[in-house]
Amino acid sequence: MPAAMTTAEMGDEARVSSNNMSGWESYYKNEGDEEEEQEEGLEAGGDYSYSGRDSLIFLVDASRAMFESQDEDELTPFDMSIQCIRSVYTNKIISSNRDLLAVVFYGTKKDKNSVNFKNIYVLQELDNPGVKRVQELDKFKGQEGKKYFEDQIGHGSDYSLSEVLWVCANLFSDVQFKMSHKRIMLFTNEDDPHGDDSAKASRARTKAGDLRDTGIFLDLMHLKKRGGFDTSLFYRDVIIAENEDIGIHFEESSKLEDLLRKVRAKETRKRVLSRLKLKLNKDVTLTVGIYNMVQKAYRPPPVRLYRETNEPVKTKTRTFNVNTGSLLLPSDTKRSQTYSHRQIVLEKEETEELKRFDEPGFILIGFKPLMMLKKHHYLRHSLFVYPEESLINGSSTLFSALLTKCLEKEVMAVCRYTPRRNSPPCFVALVPQEEELDDQKIQVAPPGFQLVFLPYADDKRKVPFTEKVMANPEQVDKMKAIVQKLRFKYRSDSFENPVLQQHFRNMEALALDLMEPEQAVDLTLPKTEVMDKRLGSLVDEFKELVYPPDYNPEGKVTKRKKDDESYGSKRPKVELSEEELKAHVSKGTLGKLTVPALKEACRMYGLKGGLKKQELLDVLTEHFQKA
Amino acid sequence: MARSWDKAAVVLCMDVGLAMSNSFPGEESPFELAKKVMTMFVQRQVFAENKDEVALVLFGTDGTKNALAAGDQYQNITVHRHLMRPDFDLLEDIESKIQPGSQQADLLDALIVCMDLIQEETLGKKFEKRHIEVFTDLSSPFSRDQLDIIIHNLKKSGISLQFFLPFPIGKQGGTGDRGDGSLLSDHHGPSFPPKGITEQQKEGIQMVKKVMMSLEGEDGLEEIYSFSEALRQLCVFKKTERRSMPWSCQLTIGSNLSIKIVAYKSITQEKVKKCWTVVDARTLKKEAIQKETVYCLNDDDETEVSKEDTIQGFRYGSDIIPFSKVDEEQMKYKSEGKCFSVLGFCRSSQVHMKYFMGNQVLKVFAAKDDEAAAVALSSLIHALDELDMVAVVRYVYNEKTNPQVGVAFPLIKDAYECLVYIQLPFMEDLRQYMFPSLKNNRKCTPTEAQLSAVDALIDSMSLVQKDEEEGTIEDLFPTSKIPNPQFQRLFQGRKKTIYFFSSHEEGPTCKKLKTEEEEAHFSVSSLAEGSVTCVGSVNPAENFRVLVRQKKATFEEASHQLINHIEQFLDTNETLYFMKSMDCIKAFREEAIQFSEEQRFNNFLKALREKVEVKQLNHFWEIVVHDGVTLITKDEAPGSSVTTEEAKKFLAPKENANADSAAAFEEGGDVDDLLELI
Repeated sequence: MPAAMTTAEMGDEARVSSNNMSGWESYYKNEGDEEEEQEEGLEAGGDYSYSGRDSLIFLVDASRAMFESQDEDELTPFDMSIQCIRSVYTNKIISSNRDLLAVVFYGTKKDKNSVNFKNIYVLQELDNPGVKRVQELDKFKGQEGKKYFEDQIGHGSDYSLSEVLWVCANLFSDVQFKMSHKRIMLFTNEDDPHGDDSAKASRARTKAGDLRDTGIFLDLMHLKKRGGFDTSLFYRDVIIAENEDIGIHFEESSKLEDLLRKVRAKETRKRVLSRLKLKLNKDVTLTVGIYNMVQKAYRPPPVRLYRETNEPVKTKTRTFNVNTGSLLLPSDTKRSQTYSHRQIVLEKEETEELKRFDEPGFILIGFKPLMMLKKHHYLRHSLFVYPEESLINGSSTLFSALLTKCLEKEVMAVCRYTPRRNSPPCFVALVPQEEELDDQKIQVAPPGFQLVFLPYADDKRKVPFTEKVMANPEQVDKMKAIVQKLRFKYRSDSFENPVLQQHFRNMEALALDLMEPEQAVDLTLPKTEVMDKRLGSLVDEFKELVYPPDYNPEGKVTKRKKDDESYGSKRPKVELSEEELKAHVSKGTLGKLTVPALKEACRMYGLKGGLKKQELLDVLTEHFQKA
Repeated sequence: MARSWDKAAVVLCMDVGLAMSNSFPGEESPFELAKKVMTMFVQRQVFAENKDEVALVLFGTDGTKNALAAGDQYQNITVHRHLMRPDFDLLEDIESKIQPGSQQADLLDALIVCMDLIQEETLGKKFEKRHIEVFTDLSSPFSRDQLDIIIHNLKKSGISLQFFLPFPIGKQGGTGDRGDGSLLSDHHGPSFPPKGITEQQKEGIQMVKKVMMSLEGEDGLEEIYSFSEALRQLCVFKKTERRSMPWSCQLTIGSNLSIKIVAYKSITQEKVKKCWTVVDARTLKKEAIQKETVYCLNDDDETEVSKEDTIQGFRYGSDIIPFSKVDEEQMKYKSEGKCFSVLGFCRSSQVHMKYFMGNQVLKVFAAKDDEAAAVALSSLIHALDELDMVAVVRYVYNEKTNPQVGVAFPLIKDAYECLVYIQLPFMEDLRQYMFPSLKNNRKCTPTEAQLSAVDALIDSMSLVQKDEEEGTIEDLFPTSKIPNPQFQRLFQGRKKTIYFFSSHEEGPTCKKLKTEEEEAHFSVSSLAEGSVTCVGSVNPAENFRVLVRQKKATFEEASHQLINHIEQFLDTNETLYFMKSMDCIKAFREEAIQFSEEQRFNNFLKALREKVEVKQLNHFWEIVVHDGVTLITKDEAPGSSVTTEEAKKFLAPKENANADSAAAFEEGGDVDDLLELI
């Protein structure tokens, strides 16, 4: 959502400018957009307007064992880690390019860090992900990568994990930005790094404790080890599950895909959209957090650059009086609407208040059986509701009881939901969702309620439906065979957005001065060849059962198509024979025809004529004069 | 927005005859209810700003004014307003100018007048739809002679009809098109016949049914509404609601199988379309204001640069990459035009509702008048339905829009069947958050007692009624039939709308439940009203009553809020608001007697009289006198010391206004004035 992003940016600008500009000048925000932006910004959630940046250090064990694979085709643990990190980098570029990332190797021969500790190599300090950094990572990929590593950095024999963590802590403290979240992900396949040195082990535990106290999270991304990775030897005491992750314990990863999912799960920090009260009745209230689990990802908004230097420029919008030329303050303007010649004038604040109904929160209206939720009454994407203990104690317990009972009784809670102060209420259904884990014990569905928006009467439209003509069982059976042939397992992450992907490929190509951008694979295109092959003769058999012999379903029969579009049959039919058209052209009376008629004529002769009447006239005239 | 081809001519045909004003004590008369429904309708029309035109014909009026009137024909029928765009004047007419008549007029005569009006006044204009809405209690006699001719003419001229009656008529089932699944019946209201109905009305009902049946078949009965139904649903004005544009395409499965389809938006969030424009505070003109956007460098001087000296760029991680519009256009993804192509089929359980996204629901039908396509699509719909599977499709609206991946699932109704298309997320749109388990967490494990309390709560707050015999579930709170309060508020707002802001009561008012246990009724309906937390300005009298009766606020508190509104209404100095104030004052008086707060009311009324004098609201006081709203006497409430004589005298005009008290208030006496005096 471009608007949302600009809010964040404009927010920055506004702060800067109010410092060094006098009062009246600082009023330059685009008034009309402002309201909408705010709203959308809040809707989108998870933007940076109110929090700092997330920061994440990838801490990779570079000991020899990390470069050994158990069989030929398998990726080495190190290779897997690098590919995984690279994937996070490119994703961050797309989704949240202001986040800070770093890569640190330990167990190296060379060292590179601000405190000159041995065997620790800071490959990349905390900074925004960018093309150069991705390229650098690419050098460590695969067999060549292994060699490159050995040439450039090399394996060391010794390291102290407490020093490693120390270096990481320093990386965080060197950052100038405000950080909202600090996290270290540790990739290793060594389950007992200081098995022979209890002093080192104990120092590492202490250091890990210090990190925790300063709000730095440490996650273990343990990789496959011969004989199994035993967390109880060392890491159980170092990685103490943070409060928010109670109950999430991963298995060790032997596949890149698994590792990626774990890393994704950890690196996408939950951002709560809002914390609200859920009123069960007059006396009982609990607090919940609202989360966005699906959110349309948009191409980032363009930035204006100064042509000479390619530096970004700032945008200012000023409002001034046409007559006097003087700049206007917000108080010099009002808001107006006109309905049937009557003007309604309000102060800006009043227009806001117009949208105010209830205090933000949920008011429970009652319960309905789950089966009454209509799939086809979808209004907008759902949100997720999880208890929020921080505001009202005991919320989680009550929430848990409500969830348990709703699941048991197969009911949903219907509520009146007011997301913000100045937003009108809407009806929502809280649909219970049970926690689900996959075989890797990774949570695929968290426990809580899906917040499903219910349409108002105004949102529903009556559609002029086509008369029902039922297929006979034979026809249905044939279609069933077709359906069965084209069965697949849907996963919500199966499809990439080809528009976004192409945009970023283009960006990448330009950034790297590539001649030709890589073409993104469009996963949304049907795999027609494979489909046709799988279906074989079924299609023809079906067509034989259903379509009359001379029927052409692709029929670009203009007449029929027009009927569809004209909704009923009230629109006057415009059919012109070639003779008539020719006559019009020769007499110069073509202009007497209506635009739809002209368009129709163009379509009949396959002419592209644009939208304006004159354009249509021109093409048609040209066509017939040529002929 | 409505297009010109979608323009409607609507005649509101209202019975104002004698019987329309009759009502049971404590209930609103059919006359008032009909006015309410019409007001709601016209409000929507005004704010929708479409090109529809509305006329108003009254029958049962004391006078006669219509083109057909001659001799003793077509008497007591008045064309109050000719066909034109609805505006605030029409609203005000409906609210205050229409008065109950003392005559009776033949409904069918009135219909003929309406038909004549439509035909005469739409001549030479293009109207896609012609429509008559009749509001009547059917208690006036009518002569059947012309019934067949009327029906014939209605059909011939393509005029559709809707009836609004004070009572529900029995209708069975329905086509399923209005609704929503055959299993779950949404119908409610007592079944036929309603109580207290006269023979004349019964005859009227038969006639109305006959007309509707002959016009639209069984469906016709669906177009006969009770006032309460209409007030609740609003969307009943089907003839004027927005229609979706058809989208024609081919559903393709592989490269050899295509089915001609047409799709319509069936659900999309209706937003307040009109934006507020910025106007100059003094002149209230938008032309006086101009906006200017400038670009400047990020240096200390904020050096301005011209737009021509800037180019477009994009952030790519830490890099900013110059990328001109032209390059972008050339290199960007191109979708190759409209399509609705199946990518594959999967089990319906794999496409969970929580993944639905986008801002619309499409209903996909076979192309019109194409039986082959209908059969082909029907095969697919039933195949999917029987296999419990769905199609995953690529959908592109046209060559300029981005492709979507979405789900198409079958929807089978009595009257029609279709595929329903909803967009699904791309990988980039997903956020895989994980949350701590609630199950194995000691800290939040509920006790047995807590669980059973929640269990009881769920049972006590059920919004459905099960009919064990018929195996149906009745939805007592069909949210999708409730209009958006935001629009309601918008409609109520006019001119200085400020008085309406503090309303807190516009939630859904649950329809009265016809449960036997009064208690259950109370708990659910009060929940729906649960939002009444203070006296709002839209239904202040009603809010006030709810508040004091449910003891949600002290009498003192509630009355103060009420007085504030009365004060605000009076400040408008408009008759419309005077009437609203009167309702408040009457409610105040009744409740004061009920709650032995007579002193409070009497003090208020005295203060009000002073105020009225100061502000010269004589016109308003006339209404008070006319309605005979005076002090509460000791006959009415033992706590009062006022005699009937004194009460009478209180309303008598004062000979000489007290100059001193006038000085005390002067201009700008504010809201607190009345309160202070109490």
